[in-house]
Amino acid sequence: MSIYDFTVKTNKGVEKNLGDYKGKVLLIVNTASKCGFTPQFEELQELYKTYKDRGLEILGFPCNQFAEQDPGTAEEIQSFCKLNYGVTFQIFEKGDVRGETAQPLFKYLTAQKGFKGFDKSHPIAEKLEEALKKNFPEYLEGDGIKWNFTKFLIDKNGNVVERFEPTTTPKSIAADIEKLL
Amino acid sequence: MVKVYSFESCPWCNKLKKYLTSRGVEYEVRDIELDEEAAKECQKISGDLTVPVTTVDGKNYVLGFDKAKIDALLGI
Repeated sequence: MSIYDFTVKTNKGVEKNLGDYKGKVLLIVNTASKCGFTPQFEELQELYKTYKDRGLEILGFPCNQFAEQDPGTAEEIQSFCKLNYGVTFQIFEKGDVRGETAQPLFKYLTAQKGFKGFDKSHPIAEKLEEALKKNFPEYLEGDGIKWNFTKFLIDKNGNVVERFEPTTTPKSIAADIEKLL
Repeated sequence: MVKVYSFESCPWCNKLKKYLTSRGVEYEVRDIELDEEAAKECQKISGDLTVPVTTVDGKNYVLGFDKAKIDALLGI
């Protein structure tokens, strides 16, 4: 079983076999409806612009499982969303990424790379963890996806080499990407 | 007329619309994803494409689903 055995659908409904990405470095991300952690969308786009010519592909999988759940109190969260023009990397069909209903690809990814904790230095880490403890304690158990913008880095041979939590900004993983290109 | 700049898959926009309806406020939906003209207007009002943006006169506006500010803007 490898990442290249999975077939998924793009947001236009076209089937895409991940084998088509052989030889590329991949960053697979569960994205959100352009709310909350929005800066990550822009940073992902920056990464894509910087590295696509050297063989990076970013694969975004929109998921509603966390969309309307707020990782903080009213003052702490931003109650608005940004229309996401300008993202040019591939976005796939909306689907679940955690629990029984998770897409097979995400079951595979989370089995390959488990949860190793949040990056505590990120400003939202503490709030996110507290909100999860309070509202969705089951999310903190096991290796399932914890929140929007969990990122999996895949090398040119299809190995899942790293998992970055929502608390790791796209910008900060540029060096990890470069190593694989 | 109250105008709400928004797009379909924006949960905060939907919450705002529900709230306005519950308060008996009539409003015009300006979809910035489907309507380029609406996007331009929104950009002009707030300088960005973040929504919901609620406005009456196109000058004073509230960004986001902030009940207190919206109540103040609309005098409800």
